[in-house]
Amino acid sequence: MTEPISKRAARWLNGAGRSVFRIGWPQTDKDRAAAMISSFFLHIHPARVSRHALRPTYTFALGLISAILFVILSVTGLALMLYYVPYPPEAYRSMKDLQFVVTFGIVLRNMHRWSAHAMVVVVFLHMCRVFWTGSYKPPREFNWIVGVVLLLLTLGLSFTGYLLPWDQLAFWAITVGTNIAAYAPVVGDQVKYLLLGGHMIGPMTLLRFYVLHCVILPLAMLMLISLHVWRVRKDGLSGGSGQMLPVEEVAGVFPASTKTYGLMSLSKRPRASVESRDPYDEVFAWPHLLYRELLVALAVIVVLHALSLVFMAPLEEIAEPTRTPNPAKAPWYFLGLQELVHYSALIGGVIVPTVLVVALLALPYVDRGTAGAGRWFAPERRVSNIVFTVIVILLAGLTVTGTLFRGPNWAWVWPWK
Amino acid sequence: MTDKPDDQPRDEPSPDVDRRTFFAMGCVGLGAATLGFGAATVRFLIPNVLYEPSRRFAIGSSSDFPPGSVTFLPDRRLFVFNGPDGLFSISAVCTHLGCNVRHVENGFACPCHGSRYDENGRVISGPAPKALAWYAVTLSPREQLIVDLDQTVGPEFRLRV
Repeated sequence: MTEPISKRAARWLNGAGRSVFRIGWPQTDKDRAAAMISSFFLHIHPARVSRHALRPTYTFALGLISAILFVILSVTGLALMLYYVPYPPEAYRSMKDLQFVVTFGIVLRNMHRWSAHAMVVVVFLHMCRVFWTGSYKPPREFNWIVGVVLLLLTLGLSFTGYLLPWDQLAFWAITVGTNIAAYAPVVGDQVKYLLLGGHMIGPMTLLRFYVLHCVILPLAMLMLISLHVWRVRKDGLSGGSGQMLPVEEVAGVFPASTKTYGLMSLSKRPRASVESRDPYDEVFAWPHLLYRELLVALAVIVVLHALSLVFMAPLEEIAEPTRTPNPAKAPWYFLGLQELVHYSALIGGVIVPTVLVVALLALPYVDRGTAGAGRWFAPERRVSNIVFTVIVILLAGLTVTGTLFRGPNWAWVWPWK
Repeated sequence: MTDKPDDQPRDEPSPDVDRRTFFAMGCVGLGAATLGFGAATVRFLIPNVLYEPSRRFAIGSSSDFPPGSVTFLPDRRLFVFNGPDGLFSISAVCTHLGCNVRHVENGFACPCHGSRYDENGRVISGPAPKALAWYAVTLSPREQLIVDLDQTVGPEFRLRV
């Protein structure tokens, strides 16, 4: 043996490392681009992105922040599961333990709570952004549908999590919320019975909400997020320079300049394909996109941590089915509906939510013109933008009214008095 | 003779069902069975036994409710009245969103969204969509008053003791 043992060990280690990371730490743009494509975790990014896609004022990173919040919620949620017992009254006691006994339990709980609220807000804002930039226009109609379902899943996750602390706040918010659901025509009562696992909120309800919250809904969400991101990757970000160029749609009809290999030639080309892109308008995704994402992720984590150190998640006394607090309020994102239900159960509980969801789902197939797509507040889309904005303002106004301006007996109160 | 490699004699009648149809029918059958299992799973979600307080329960003897009294049973979310014509019982669960209503002068008021009911539980004002439920009160052989939450009655109901 002429080679020293240290060199052989280093070569062995290098080989083992290469079995995991096939190209090692990339040193050049070419290697970094190769890493983006060959890595399972990175390949949801393209190797190169247009400068347009990096403009923070186009997307405000709202989709990215939603995804980051989902990761934070999964991690903190899994940690909380190790102490939480989904059975009353131990459920409430385990919350007290998390609050007062477990080291950093209160911080993790606050993180989970504030991230959940933040996610409802950010996902909603993300939808507004997509509307105001007309990004649901062809070829992205179906991804809008996926996004609407993701918004509903976000609300469902937040709602099912709301019951778990088993305090007065949780119990009566879910009472009011499930009673709103029971107004659905024909199936309302059966849906409520199935959701509660009985006639009233009890141990069975807590277990059902727990399983929905920790397993069923997160799994569904993970699948749909994957689909959502996959389609963004395939269609590219809306509003880029490629948007306006004509492209061939039929598989197999390629200009001579196109390079395709093997099975790739069978695939239908995405709209933002190589030929329609301007190579001088592009930068490498690593570092330009990757480091920005890292920066946003760190900022979100730090901000949420700071919030969680200052603001405590509420925990009232243990759930008491015979004593209704006054006023009893649903979770805040349903208070707009509750405010409507206060005027008329049928309008607030059935008509408005149904019309809203159906309108959101039908939108990309009804509003089909592509004029003004890919720009903020395009003048061509003035009418639809005004209609959408008015609805958003009405919803926000109702939610703020229900949250801040309603006191005992649902009478009007001034929050600063 | 035949030029096919199979050893089947030519004069034997062809099978009623060819291979393709056989597999298609098999797939339909297996698919139907799978759907059946799916339906069983959905049925599985509907509980048969509820570990809830019974929907039919005793509330005490008639002497516990003196004439002219109004009694609120918080655990049962129920009002029991002993009026001039007899006993009757009205639900305390607001038909709007399930809060407990309060007994006030000439009726009931819900603290959550301000629904008002008259003394018979009929809606006077507010968002409540229907009247408060009236439940049948019966007398058991042991002279106990029994309320059945699955048996609603009209506001003319009275139990004479």
